[in-house]
Amino acid sequence: METSESGLTRREFLGLTGGLIVFFAIPSELARAAGESGGGDAPSFNAFLRIAPDSMVTVFTGKVEMGQGNKTALAQMVAEELTVPFSSVEMVMGDTDLVPWDGGTWGSTSVRFMGVELRAAAAEARDVLVEMAAEQWGAAPSALTVSEGRISLASDTRTSVALGELTEGKEIRRALKGEPKLRPVVEYRVVGTSVSRVDGRAIVTGEEQFVADVRIPGMLHGAVLHPPSFGARLKSVDTSRAERASGVIKVVRDEGFVAVVAERPELAREARQLIRADWEEKPHPAMESLWDDLRSTAELADTVTEEGTVGSVLEAAERQFSATYRTAFVAHAPVEPHVALASWQDGKVTVYSNTQTPFLQKDDVAEALGLESGQVRIVVPRVGGGFGGKTNPELAIAAARLARAVGGPVMVDQTREEELTWNYFKPAALIDIRCGVNGDREISAWDCDVHNCGDRGAEPPYGFANRRVRSFGCDSPLRQGAWRGLAGSAITFAIEVHMDEVASEMGEDPVEFRLKHLDNDPRLARTVRAVAEAYGWTPRRAPTGKGVGFACGIDVGSRVAEIVELDVDAKTGLVRISRVVVAQESGLVINPDGITNQIEGGIIMGLGPALREMVHYEKGRILTDRYSKYPIPTIRDAPKIETVLVPNPTLSPQGAGEPSIFPISAAVANAIFDATGKRLREMPFLPDRVLAATAV
Amino acid sequence: MAETKETISFQVNGVERELEVSGSRNLLSVLRHELGLTGAKYGCGVGECGSCTVLLDGRAVRSCVVPVSTVAGRSVTTIEGLGSGDRLHPVQEAFLETQAFQCGYCTPGLIMSVVDLLQRKPDPTEPEIRDALAGNLCRCAPYPRIIRAAQLAAATMSSSGERHGDQ
Repeated sequence: METSESGLTRREFLGLTGGLIVFFAIPSELARAAGESGGGDAPSFNAFLRIAPDSMVTVFTGKVEMGQGNKTALAQMVAEELTVPFSSVEMVMGDTDLVPWDGGTWGSTSVRFMGVELRAAAAEARDVLVEMAAEQWGAAPSALTVSEGRISLASDTRTSVALGELTEGKEIRRALKGEPKLRPVVEYRVVGTSVSRVDGRAIVTGEEQFVADVRIPGMLHGAVLHPPSFGARLKSVDTSRAERASGVIKVVRDEGFVAVVAERPELAREARQLIRADWEEKPHPAMESLWDDLRSTAELADTVTEEGTVGSVLEAAERQFSATYRTAFVAHAPVEPHVALASWQDGKVTVYSNTQTPFLQKDDVAEALGLESGQVRIVVPRVGGGFGGKTNPELAIAAARLARAVGGPVMVDQTREEELTWNYFKPAALIDIRCGVNGDREISAWDCDVHNCGDRGAEPPYGFANRRVRSFGCDSPLRQGAWRGLAGSAITFAIEVHMDEVASEMGEDPVEFRLKHLDNDPRLARTVRAVAEAYGWTPRRAPTGKGVGFACGIDVGSRVAEIVELDVDAKTGLVRISRVVVAQESGLVINPDGITNQIEGGIIMGLGPALREMVHYEKGRILTDRYSKYPIPTIRDAPKIETVLVPNPTLSPQGAGEPSIFPISAAVANAIFDATGKRLREMPFLPDRVLAATAV
Repeated sequence: MAETKETISFQVNGVERELEVSGSRNLLSVLRHELGLTGAKYGCGVGECGSCTVLLDGRAVRSCVVPVSTVAGRSVTTIEGLGSGDRLHPVQEAFLETQAFQCGYCTPGLIMSVVDLLQRKPDPTEPEIRDALAGNLCRCAPYPRIIRAAQLAAATMSSSGERHGDQ
């Protein structure tokens, strides 16, 4: 990546190029942009692609690559519609000066929304060029064929032209309207194949540049002073010793913001320790009272769904069940900590930042520093794992402030301790479920209240005629925010353990019991059958003592079902997952190996909060501030995973980054029940909780 | 207060380097900030995540906890020193072949750990692979692929007779 600034605005950048440019928009994102900007200067498009006279294709999008492989998958979708070689598509991503506004990379939206619009734009571009060729040759467009990046006369293929050649000496701009005709799936040659990741070679050679690897001559490093506990107010500060420390250039103080700028990160951090600050701390609730605190502060935020008559049907039900499920606060813990590098030139600041939301960060930096939006450029070379955790503008703001204060480029790079302390967390969740079963041994009423976690995934996937789901907001003791799948993995844990409990109490096979309630969703039913078949499932009534658990779910349009095999060590309470079989249906699959990688990664990441991960805190301080105290899954924890991609190629591609993490913790809990006959309703399933549950 | 600097010489990727640095500085900081070798990453600073792994005299070390004074006169290999020219090291090839990465931040450290393992145990069992890599954390977690990458590299290296990680 070029670290020197090109200084080009997007308009100038476009002006430099010829060729055919097709602009397009994701309608929902533009609506958001209009909302965020008050509607006045909302963009009319949020991505575009260009076909140059040499037939090289460049795609400009605000999405960022953070390991999910969207840089590869999006290029595949474009190459497919244009019939050009995959290698002739280049992606320009996540640079707010080069790409149009985008709401951010989260919610598995890259392929599902951006990709779908992008391939439509590519199809539009192809059709425009076919029309141009038809005119040139005095032929009807229908008499032309497109293949291998060339347009030819069907009757005489010697009359042919490369797509880009038609744009020679011209600049043609089109906005995508309507839905151009896509190439038939059966003719696909790039989409549906496991193209290797475009960034793979640079990753294995260490050449791939993350933000922390960007170097600007003369750059310095900043370390920001943190309070001893959340929300503490700075009363007074003495920075004199820090100012004299080795390698220190400046100590910057601006009201409550205090930071050291030094020649290297460790010198800035060492000097930071020499700052004497006096803080006014706030009282904080104890971790032990979390569940009571959430309940006592709960306020109805939203009735997610209300169908039929839940109350009376529940009362009249033959059997009633109720249980409460809990999940802990969880950290994102990406191995790449947050980092930002800011550099000023002519009143404009460029910030290299590992953020999932460059355009939101641009506005945040502008606002914090009192700048016009046009005075801020955010560049995201790539992100070293996001998981919903990298949307926080604080480091970018700090870097921009410090760079301005010292008059030179400054990088602010967080330590592991800062990363695990000062980011927001996945919310703790408290979920109550009541349900009633009728004489046909079917669930006739479902009543679910979710607390503190939001409501993603709260709507049960099953066709319960009478159901009510409500979401309650609570006072959280910790700062909380997005985490892979938002509330979905917590709520799916509750729903799917509850389904398992009812099935077991009713003496029903857990898989058949799910299927009985899935007439409303044939895609999920098919996915459930696919995983059962791949596993070799035989009807059973849990607990069987074998340690096999099932769970399924729906997220971002995908259907997913998982079967877990595990062992429980009766002496230590340790749970060892040996095998996971997963089936996922995500509509059209762009890159089978890429989606498989996402599915497997989601499952193993999900084993962390299932088995071990929880944030510990005390008096407004995070205690789990290093990996040895916050043990994420290691390669020792990784089970054998068998992945089945359930085909459905005529359906538009669905989200793939998050779904597999939804059912995994329920599948584990259900397998622990199958092994031990005991239910665990609180994540994580720590050894002492397993022992306590299994102790007679 | 100024840092006390000393002259320290060591080999990096086969090239003799002489630096004026504080001997207490960690090797990772010197690689990344003095030598411009950014392949090894900072992940935790306390030797718990493995993303800073490099080879010191052929053995994997966590460079974030190695004082640079202790590498004087010794040989350091980083991810930049693997392979030769355009030719990737078999372990790099195997990671590419199995697509054993997602975001790629921890990948250089993982590759160095696998190189170290295969030098010590050219034909490791799966539990040996897991034990050798348990200190290399990866939040994206394509661990099953990483195991396959290590197995594939072991197979290629034994069939080609290539055992030297720093070639």
